[in-house]
Amino acid sequence: MSTGIAYETALQEWRQTAPADPRPLDLPVSELLSNFHPDRKPGARSKLVIGPNAGEECPNTLSRLLQSDSLLEDVDIAGAPTSEADVLVIGGGGAGCIAALTAARAGARVLLATKLGLGDSNTVMAEGGIQAAVGADDSVQQHFEDTIRAGHFAAKKELVAALVTGGPSAIRWLIQEGMDFDLADGTQRMGGTLRYKTAGGASVPRLLSFRDFTGLELMRAVREATLLQPNLTLLTHHPALELLTDDRGHCAGAVLYDFAHGQEVVVRSAVTVLATGGSGRLHLSDFPTSNHYGATADGLVLAYRLGARLRDVGSFQYHPTGVAWPPPLEGQLVSEAARSSGAFLVNGLGQRFVNELQPRDVVASAILREIDEGRGITRDGKVGVFLDTPSLERDNPGILARELVTLGNLARRGGFDPAEEPFLIRPTLHYQNGGVEIRTTGHTSVPGLLAAGEVTGGLHGHNRMMGNALLELVVFGRSAGANAAADARRERPRNVGLTHLADWRRAMESEGLPLDRKAPQLFPYYGNFDPVRDRRRGA
Amino acid sequence: MTMVRLVIDGHAINGESGTSLLQAWVAAGLPLVGNVGCMGQGVCGACRVLVRRPNERLAQTGLACETLVEEGMQVAFINISRQRRPHSYDLHALGDSWDAIARIDEIFPEATRCRHCGGCDAACPKGIEVEKMVNLAAVGQTLAAAELFDDCVQCNLCVAACPEHIDPAHLGQLVRRMTASMTLRPSDLIMRLHELEAGEQTIDLDSPGTLPQVSDDADVETADLETADVETADLETADLETAVVETAEIENADVENAQIENEEVQ
Repeated sequence: MSTGIAYETALQEWRQTAPADPRPLDLPVSELLSNFHPDRKPGARSKLVIGPNAGEECPNTLSRLLQSDSLLEDVDIAGAPTSEADVLVIGGGGAGCIAALTAARAGARVLLATKLGLGDSNTVMAEGGIQAAVGADDSVQQHFEDTIRAGHFAAKKELVAALVTGGPSAIRWLIQEGMDFDLADGTQRMGGTLRYKTAGGASVPRLLSFRDFTGLELMRAVREATLLQPNLTLLTHHPALELLTDDRGHCAGAVLYDFAHGQEVVVRSAVTVLATGGSGRLHLSDFPTSNHYGATADGLVLAYRLGARLRDVGSFQYHPTGVAWPPPLEGQLVSEAARSSGAFLVNGLGQRFVNELQPRDVVASAILREIDEGRGITRDGKVGVFLDTPSLERDNPGILARELVTLGNLARRGGFDPAEEPFLIRPTLHYQNGGVEIRTTGHTSVPGLLAAGEVTGGLHGHNRMMGNALLELVVFGRSAGANAAADARRERPRNVGLTHLADWRRAMESEGLPLDRKAPQLFPYYGNFDPVRDRRRGA
Repeated sequence: MTMVRLVIDGHAINGESGTSLLQAWVAAGLPLVGNVGCMGQGVCGACRVLVRRPNERLAQTGLACETLVEEGMQVAFINISRQRRPHSYDLHALGDSWDAIARIDEIFPEATRCRHCGGCDAACPKGIEVEKMVNLAAVGQTLAAAELFDDCVQCNLCVAACPEHIDPAHLGQLVRRMTASMTLRPSDLIMRLHELEAGEQTIDLDSPGTLPQVSDDADVETADLETADVETADLETADLETAVVETAEIENADVENAQIENEEVQ
């Protein structure tokens, strides 16, 4: 796929044909997906051999991490400082903050631990919006059906039902926490109506937004609320290295790593909520990613080792339009709004090759096919296809400045004018569709362990609908927090330790898996921090 | 590729021109375990830096993910704790909006003591008129103040810059949160909440719309049918996956499979 058409040549082709004529996909969608979707490429996946999902397929990189040994031995935690909490929340993005807030307000003593700073997460990067069926022409049933259909009928229906029925009250909760939303043109803050945009695959417009940085607005309000919440202790720059168990196999807290002091700390808790987010920074199949720096599947690794069942763990969303060039912006999102406003995708021959408004998995696969078959465009060693923003601007003068503000900012940082020069784009690893299987209460298959947000699986089936990720973290963050606080009043774990590791290591050995392979990896491979080698050094 | 020389946190490194400070830092083999979040989008505010360029008298603040390397740059990461601070309040106990100005003054008493030094404006990497927001908030013009903070990424550089300890970033959030929570009452949302409470909005788990063959328009339908062929394989896996969990679900999936098979027959 390194071969392609040189940028200058492609630019000439584009100038000659722009705006290019529509050209539908000349391959059945089924064939396109099975040949070009990264999830299905031959050799990209392997079968898990140990753990609750043994026998199921999973991307190679993730499968290596899931079937790794712990970073810890009993001796590592023998003298470690210990804290106690009713509820330990691991993860400081949207889901983690909301679960922690809810649990603390329900009376629990909460400790929130996060690998980076509070709010440094995928949540804050979400642009498009949050779906909730509030329109008069809409219903929670329609939202339900759209979500099921977008997920190719593989989602767990009970979870989707809880998601969509919880939508309107999630929006009320966010407003009560001080989040603002766009209003329909000409309406007032008191008694007006919200602005609805259309998400790909939605039967009616239902995407609520704040400008084109909805996630930032959400995270600002929730981060501030978390900082101000009594009964809630924050430990930032404290990644989780391992979950703790008691003698019944219940989750009993976690071992964290304190970067500032270069040592492990033990947190014993009655209940643990996992809200560690996704895994884009694993760069599966060498894809660039739109994800934040800490998205390295830590939560999946810890939960799986403790015996929590995963679901749809081989399913990832590749967003069609990530930046391919220039390198400093590689992988960053060019919002779907560009295509829904009418921007075309054009290959190195100046041709369109797919209906740009098809679902994300189809468009992404179609772009990858152009690249694989040599019709991509190469520039400084990067390869992609054009997103024809100049033709969009020519047909709709002023649209870039008026409606695609973030896109304009992105181009400016890349040093070019999107009204003159097309974007060079390529699919980017965007979202982990599956994850730790949960019930509607947030409980996982391991007692004492709950989960919320992108780390969970079951809601999105095999393809997530735009706007459901922000909704999910509010609805399930709240229910996990409330149930964690309630559970914490019951019994507390006894004889806490790393007892699950003995069985895990026996299983690894019996399958011939190397015990020197350790996880979680905490940071991307280019982060120059190896948790085995560098841990004693501190930061 | 052109390389430039620069110094970040005392490490003299070579950076490829066109790359960001964060990218140059990791490319030089230095460990990146903090001062980083969104890694390029410029929205998380975690990678604050102080940058001094050659022949410039003053250092400038910025975000390392958005600042490109330049020859001779001197760069230092700035660690500011965003943890708990003295200006605390409970948004839900602020009382009614008649008392908004009084509450703002109670919580942020320093806000009326702005000395107009412009330090906050100079520190903001997003070009926000921070000082103006502080002054508007201090006289109770909350909505106008809130709007000025639309682009804030909570990097807290203005907090570090303020000699009067006003904490502008948090004052900005207070006025924004007050405004939204006290004045945003969308009628459509309120109507839907009432319908949900009255039991008028329910979910039919097995409605025809949740099955592959039903669709709302022709375009989507074609796409769905085309993918449906592929999905048979997936649903079989889904069966295995769900087997342990819920029998009800498997029955649903079986029904879906059956329907897909029907379509294939057609």
